[in-house]
Amino acid sequence: MPATPIIIDCDPGIDDAIALLTAFVSPELDILGITPVAGNQPLPGTLRNALQICELGGRSDIPVHPGCDRPLLRAPLHGQFHGRNGLGNTELPPPAKSAEETGAAQFLIDTLTHAAGTGRRVTLCCLAPLTNIAVALRIRPAIAAGIARIVMMGGAYREPGNRTMTSEFNVLADPHAAHIVFSSGIPIVALALDATHQVILRPEHVADFVATSGRISEVLGALMAFWDRNQPERYGSRGGPLHDPLVIAWLLAPELFETRRARVFVETASELCMGQTIADWYNKSGLEPNADIVTRVDAPGVIGLLRDRLSRYAARGTAA
Amino acid sequence: MSRQPVIIDTDPGVDDAAALLLALASPEIELRGVSVVAGNVGLAASLANACRILALAGRGDVPVLAGAAEPLCRSPVRGRHARIGVFAEDIVPPAPACPRPEPAAFFIARQALAAAAAGRPITICAIGPLTNIALALRLHPGVAGAIGRIVMMGGAFRVPGLRTPWAEYNVLADPHAAQIVWQSGVPLVVLPLDVTQQALFTEAEFSRLEARGSAGGRALAGLLRRYDRSDPARYGRPGGPLHDPMTIAWLLRPDLFAGQPATIGVTLDGPTAGQSWADPGPAAGPAPNALVMTGIDEAAYRHLLVERIGGLAAAAPRAPAVAEGTA
Repeated sequence: MPATPIIIDCDPGIDDAIALLTAFVSPELDILGITPVAGNQPLPGTLRNALQICELGGRSDIPVHPGCDRPLLRAPLHGQFHGRNGLGNTELPPPAKSAEETGAAQFLIDTLTHAAGTGRRVTLCCLAPLTNIAVALRIRPAIAAGIARIVMMGGAYREPGNRTMTSEFNVLADPHAAHIVFSSGIPIVALALDATHQVILRPEHVADFVATSGRISEVLGALMAFWDRNQPERYGSRGGPLHDPLVIAWLLAPELFETRRARVFVETASELCMGQTIADWYNKSGLEPNADIVTRVDAPGVIGLLRDRLSRYAARGTAA
Repeated sequence: MSRQPVIIDTDPGVDDAAALLLALASPEIELRGVSVVAGNVGLAASLANACRILALAGRGDVPVLAGAAEPLCRSPVRGRHARIGVFAEDIVPPAPACPRPEPAAFFIARQALAAAAAGRPITICAIGPLTNIALALRLHPGVAGAIGRIVMMGGAFRVPGLRTPWAEYNVLADPHAAQIVWQSGVPLVVLPLDVTQQALFTEAEFSRLEARGSAGGRALAGLLRRYDRSDPARYGRPGGPLHDPMTIAWLLRPDLFAGQPATIGVTLDGPTAGQSWADPGPAAGPAPNALVMTGIDEAAYRHLLVERIGGLAAAAPRAPAVAEGTA
């Protein structure tokens, strides 16, 4: 089967880093580019972290295009669980390669316009606030024809929010961008907190990943150890939810996920509920569904999949 | 005086056409490009009208860039004169629609950064909804600091709106874009309805435009006669306003205007979305973000517009230049 062409839009971020490292060793995926955006860290941080993770994973061949440096309208919001540098205080060597001159919006428009022409449509893997995608869609709406689907981590439907009572970080950080994406008519697979809170990376998993992931094991172990929320009353055990890697896992093994179609709305006006995502489960709106919302995840299956993928760094040796 | 580098961001529109003609008739202005946005009419009609006006003046060499087809977040709303669509061919002859391949937001960002690097920061005359400029501001962290200033027609502070009682059209059509632009830190000169409605044009001006004999003057007179803008109940006297060219007039003759610094803002949501407000201070709050015009010398404005556009000598038609950096 030919590899699925993807672009990874991200804000690394510890869980972004795990998602990237998983995608790098998955031949089913053809990574056309990475487009960091302001999110968990300000743009210079997410850009640097993306370059460093590419080098750690031996994938400096993938172009990294700088994205938007702030949300469309809201004041910049940054993550709380990623340490001072966005990678849990893990210090990676300064990146040897620099980011591309071409910005993310232009890269998206050029790549997706080309894809619309050839019919080899691209899957957008969205692990961050959706600013880059929204800007590209408003500049050139026709790029929708070059997008196979958007697989996104973001939102909270039946689950409460993780940054405010109602809202998940990626949507809250740029609710207007999320509104633009959900209004676009592009097929969306939504991995919200409802799904990601089902997959908790526990300390015993971390030990197992460290034992099997070869040359990245030291860094991976440090990232994963930092991710432990130590909040068993909320997550049912020690450990942290594997938000962003689920996007890559869905692409590799969609059979591990159950979805339900619904219309999704994003709150952009109320300060109390800013960034809330609302699913019209019972078609009260009379509007067509616009997303496949993941409702159930085979957590052991996903953990096993990630373990298998990341163990490939043991086989690859140290050469990039 | 050295020529000012200017981009006009526009949604033509009859008064947009007048603004384009006034800029083309003014040697003080170096028109770097015309970026088009959906607004008064849809994007395809806006593009067609922009290209026709440039062709009429023999300036098909000026780059035309296609911009946003819809507002950032709200659903599209067209202008009061949306029925105009593409200008009637008997008034403005058809010309090929000729946008460059580069999207308008990229052009604005690229031109702004290049002009600042060259030490001649660009002025953007914004006479449509602000979608293109808002998008350009998000493309690169340096864009806001690179734009010299934005001179915009939009907002209504002490007078009711035209499109709705609470809102002026350009702000109503994309309030989120207005918010992005107004909070960007770029120096703003704002010409709201409060000032644009102070200068009215009547048949006397149309006749003089026509009598001077330029193709642009005759076409503008034809458009103003065909699409009557007068509203005696609202303005208290005969004649109709020409909002958009006042931005160009401000660039040429700021001495014709009175204005004051103010903090301006916009309502994004709810039943009065698109309402603009201006706080002239010195109330508590942020420093003024705009210079808001409040008065105009009506006779001088009318004279400037009629003389310049009436005397617009059509340039010898030039072949469109090869697009820079867009191959």
